[in-house]
Amino acid sequence: MNMFSSLMLASLSVLTLPIMSSILNTHKNSTYPHHVKNIISYAFITSLIPTMMFIHSGQETIISNWHWMTIQTLKLSLSFKLDYFSMIFVPVALFVTWSIMEFSLWYMHSDPYITRFFKYLLTFLITMMILVTANNLFQLFIGWEGVGIMSFLLIGWWYGRTDANTAALQAILYNRIGDIGFIMAMAWFLFNTNTWDLQQIFMLDPNLTNLPLLGLLLAATGKSAQFGLHPWLPSAMEGPTPVSALLHSSTMVVAGVFLLIRFHPLMENNKTIQSLTLCLGAITTLFTAICALTQNDIKKIIAFSTSSQLGLMIVTIGINQPYLAFLHICTHAFFKAMLFMCSGSIIHSLNDEQDIRKMGGLFNAMPFTTTSLIIGSLALTGMPFLTGFYSKDLIIETANTSYTNAWALLMTLIATSLTAVYSTRIIFFALLGQPRFLPLTTINENNPFLINSIKRLLIGSIFAGFFISNNIYPTTIPEMTMPIYMKLTALTVTILGFTLALELSLITHNLKPEHPTNMFKFSNLLGYYPTIMHRLPPLANLSMSQKSASLLLDSIWLENILPKSISQFQMKTSILISTQKGQIKLYFLSFLITLTLSMLLFNLHE
Amino acid sequence: MINFIITNMSLVHINIFLAFTVSLVGLLMYRSHLISSLLCLEGIILSLFVIATIVVLNTHFTLASIIPIILLVFAACEAALGLSLLVIVSNTYGVDHVQNLNLLQC
Repeated sequence: MNMFSSLMLASLSVLTLPIMSSILNTHKNSTYPHHVKNIISYAFITSLIPTMMFIHSGQETIISNWHWMTIQTLKLSLSFKLDYFSMIFVPVALFVTWSIMEFSLWYMHSDPYITRFFKYLLTFLITMMILVTANNLFQLFIGWEGVGIMSFLLIGWWYGRTDANTAALQAILYNRIGDIGFIMAMAWFLFNTNTWDLQQIFMLDPNLTNLPLLGLLLAATGKSAQFGLHPWLPSAMEGPTPVSALLHSSTMVVAGVFLLIRFHPLMENNKTIQSLTLCLGAITTLFTAICALTQNDIKKIIAFSTSSQLGLMIVTIGINQPYLAFLHICTHAFFKAMLFMCSGSIIHSLNDEQDIRKMGGLFNAMPFTTTSLIIGSLALTGMPFLTGFYSKDLIIETANTSYTNAWALLMTLIATSLTAVYSTRIIFFALLGQPRFLPLTTINENNPFLINSIKRLLIGSIFAGFFISNNIYPTTIPEMTMPIYMKLTALTVTILGFTLALELSLITHNLKPEHPTNMFKFSNLLGYYPTIMHRLPPLANLSMSQKSASLLLDSIWLENILPKSISQFQMKTSILISTQKGQIKLYFLSFLITLTLSMLLFNLHE
Repeated sequence: MINFIITNMSLVHINIFLAFTVSLVGLLMYRSHLISSLLCLEGIILSLFVIATIVVLNTHFTLASIIPIILLVFAACEAALGLSLLVIVSNTYGVDHVQNLNLLQC
């Protein structure tokens, strides 16, 4: 009997304290955000203890304490699954959230509703924790919907802006399409395995799992912005930078990948679904990397980078390596959140300027942000022995040496080199060269909140990969021996990408302005996907429904106006065959003559 | 038959018959005004009424003595109908010249 479950539950439940206090007490003093930040740091430290216990002994726990209801034969209860995935993810998520909360103390300092902002962020964190520690699909769904709703509220934080409102609505709609898949999977599991508990599903190991896994894949496509349901992620950059850092880089968008990871016992038996996930992930990672190449908004580039990394995670699941995908989730959280926070620092310092064509020369003006941006980009591209290397390089190696779809592999490699390209683009345009912003900007980064939060994630970006991958217990054995060219593939394509991007960017100093080519337009307009899909299907649907409704009614009324058609018919035919021309006198005269003639004839006939 | 009419007809018969014939010709041949046709129609009805009354009274056919009265009722309806048609034509054109009726084609 140890303190494992109590400490974990304590760490999860202290997160709900600020919410309670604001409901009960309605105290909205100005130190509430500091309380929230402190609570999260305490929760992080508290959750480190069960995690260390888990690392030491491999102890996994399932806490099932409250029997909620029984619907005929389905028993729903509140149950927490504290296994490998949730035990490692919870400290990572709490650490990143702690840094982001501290960052948003600086970023949202002048916002009058900062307490509400922190409350929303905290509610999001709680629902994310519910999602991660859920042992049955119902609780997972609660967390799933919860993060969706908080995403909506947070993206539309500046609701006076129409773009923000449409982006929030877009997020909800695309997530909803994914939820259809989730509910389909839940229904299938209910019918065929009579439960929503993960243990029972894995134990029963149903045979034909195509349908539920397709549903879960659709859910992951919606939540993790895979190709087909991806436009909401770049649009979600309308929200404040802390929101982008927390939700749309480290925590919420990995929920879809996490769901697929949770179901890996079912997925490892289904080759079809694995191929589907592989191809979907490959398409996503390449497409979003292409789209990221020509964007001009720094947050959008990082958003597409997130989308591309999510595609990489899905590819990893597709080659049947759920533990590697999970490792990539954890390491990706660090440097992606830090990249967003650096971009937030740049944006705030340049007086809300987000266009990289109007930045430049920040290398000397903001040294700390420059450092962290460069380190974050290097970690993202998988520079050896930084954080990203431990997960990304392993993924590329495993993909290279596994018996998999060559096309998907090629796409992934191209996307890896493109990662280096757009990272170079950010660094080049934002940091190097001469300043392209107005001279009278107050650039400072000397706020301790900003410095400390970025510093924490910086240390995480450098060391977390090493730290985590040395302390977790071995799950699937990575491929140990391979030819040297395969071992160096990821490094080679990355360096290739760097040099190419640097050359191209240096050429831009001497370019003459030209009309954008077709490839440029394809990349800049996100592959025309939002333009087509947001206009054509709704227009077709609405016009078809309007025409069928009104035409149908009109037809029914036309059937009632069969009189009308009869009358038209009569008129037309009467015009056609009537020879009357209204010569009345002639008719009367002929009548008279006929009468007279007939009388004469009859009389003379005797 | 003409011989029969000429030999057995008295002046009264000729009078009434002539009244009917003149009105008939007047109904069928008129120059421009529709109302003259309607007037002749009234004349026809009047002469018919007189013929009916005289025949019924001369032959003491008492049971048929209601016929002239019914004839008058129908004549009133018909006159009203004719006059309403005249009013419609007159509303459209202002006058009831019959050459205007050429234009009322469907």
